[in-house]
Amino acid sequence: MPDIATLLEILLIVVKVGVVTMILFGLPLPLTWLERKVAGHIQVRLGPWRVGPHGLLQPFADMIKLLFKEDIVPYKADKLLFNLAPLLSMVPAFAVFVAIPFGDSVMVPFINKEVTLYISDMNVGILYILAIGGLSIYGLILGGWASNSKYALLGGLRSSAQMISYEVAMSFAAVGVVMMSNSLSLLEMVKSQSGSFLNWNIFYLPVGPVWFAIFLIAGLAEINRIPFDLTEDEGTLAAGFHTEYSGMKFAFFMLAEYVAMVTISVLSVVMFFGGWNAPLQVPVPIPPIFWFVAKAGALIYFFMWIRFTLPRYRYDQLMTIGWKILIPVALVNLLVTGFMRI
Amino acid sequence: MSKKGFDLFDLVKKVLFTDFVKGLTVTLGYNISKSITMRYPDEEKWVPYRRFRGMHTLNRDENGRELCVACELCAKACPTGCITVIPMEDNSGRGISDRVAKVWTVNVVRCLFCGYCEDACPTRALRLGREYELACTDFSCTLKSREELLVPQPVPESIPGGYVVKSKFERTPQGIKVVPELSKYKKRSI
Repeated sequence: MPDIATLLEILLIVVKVGVVTMILFGLPLPLTWLERKVAGHIQVRLGPWRVGPHGLLQPFADMIKLLFKEDIVPYKADKLLFNLAPLLSMVPAFAVFVAIPFGDSVMVPFINKEVTLYISDMNVGILYILAIGGLSIYGLILGGWASNSKYALLGGLRSSAQMISYEVAMSFAAVGVVMMSNSLSLLEMVKSQSGSFLNWNIFYLPVGPVWFAIFLIAGLAEINRIPFDLTEDEGTLAAGFHTEYSGMKFAFFMLAEYVAMVTISVLSVVMFFGGWNAPLQVPVPIPPIFWFVAKAGALIYFFMWIRFTLPRYRYDQLMTIGWKILIPVALVNLLVTGFMRI
Repeated sequence: MSKKGFDLFDLVKKVLFTDFVKGLTVTLGYNISKSITMRYPDEEKWVPYRRFRGMHTLNRDENGRELCVACELCAKACPTGCITVIPMEDNSGRGISDRVAKVWTVNVVRCLFCGYCEDACPTRALRLGREYELACTDFSCTLKSREELLVPQPVPESIPGGYVVKSKFERTPQGIKVVPELSKYKKRSI
């Protein structure tokens, strides 16, 4: 029989997992609103405006619409895989957050206990994130395969090719960060970047910015966002891998996509922007989680900003960028980083 | 990209993401600039110029007599034949002459708002006005009669038009109306 303290620990972990899951389920609502607002204002429009003040209730209207839409399974589709694919792409996107630290420990006022703002501090956190994050591609490939549609199949194939090309570059970027921070644990990475913003990995000159550029480009490709959203290329593939999906299954794919975007922003913050460390010493006490959320939010805005600035890359250009530019640059950069760390 | 030799300038530009940053600057500029959307049914409304060809109006002279003499020239000029005029004699001073229209209807569904009728009108009784919200849910509004057209226009002739005004969105059992507040206007290039 385990004692009370152990049970409390387990309960705490369960509560933390529940809270993180709830937050991640809720995040796409403001993010879709924000994305459509950013799209609108960049195109000198207003974006959502009529449902609620400034269109704030638009995501809820969309959600209700998606809930009531007919759930269509195409003729001769592989039913099991077709139903499984949205879950396969969603679960890894959520599972990644087990290893992501949102802050150090905080005192919770009512139970008087130090609570750490991460679910688990794995000593190989970054490896776990890359491995689990890579799994979510199965949802896309299987969804494309099971749909019995050529557009969806082509979208799935493209996504697998894209994943293989960019996973390498992204892993190299992670290796670079590991070398700069001397640890695979995300917590240690953040601790190594404490102090002023000059200690951040992105300011580890001259290799830091290059690693960040590689990570950002590869990350954009990993999460299938414009300019690398070849898998759901509306121009040529109707909607790519989710052509045949409707209703809540489509919503699950969208959810996975937004959570992946949050993952990449949060990872960039942890790996390059010093996590929850303040950029400068400020006299007023600002909770570290504020810095974390602010940095992640800025990066999410940056992703949306890019989306409405750049056109989509052609398929061969995508491959050229991945294999002929990112990987050689990453190799050279790895060498330089190695010399700098001697 | 030209294949002629090695272009150092081009390489530096690519390494520093110059064009990318330029593009981002442009979109950021648009992001923080004011939207040009006209919030039409909810808050704003476009007041057309005087030359606008909207719903027909029948006018009166300064003494309140109908200008229309039922000459039927508008009906003859109409390319779609949507205007029906039946004249009658009336000495009571309803019109400016002893010939007035007994029936003057325009079938708005057939009308193409070409303005030939107002050109043909010898007494300037018939003008195409500035009313453009003509939608309705049944056929009751497709045939406009003389009585409806003689009602004064919501936008008076003194207003030059060509700008956006604040407006109020009104839902009534008769339908939806956007009522402009003509005093508060702002010029906006569209």
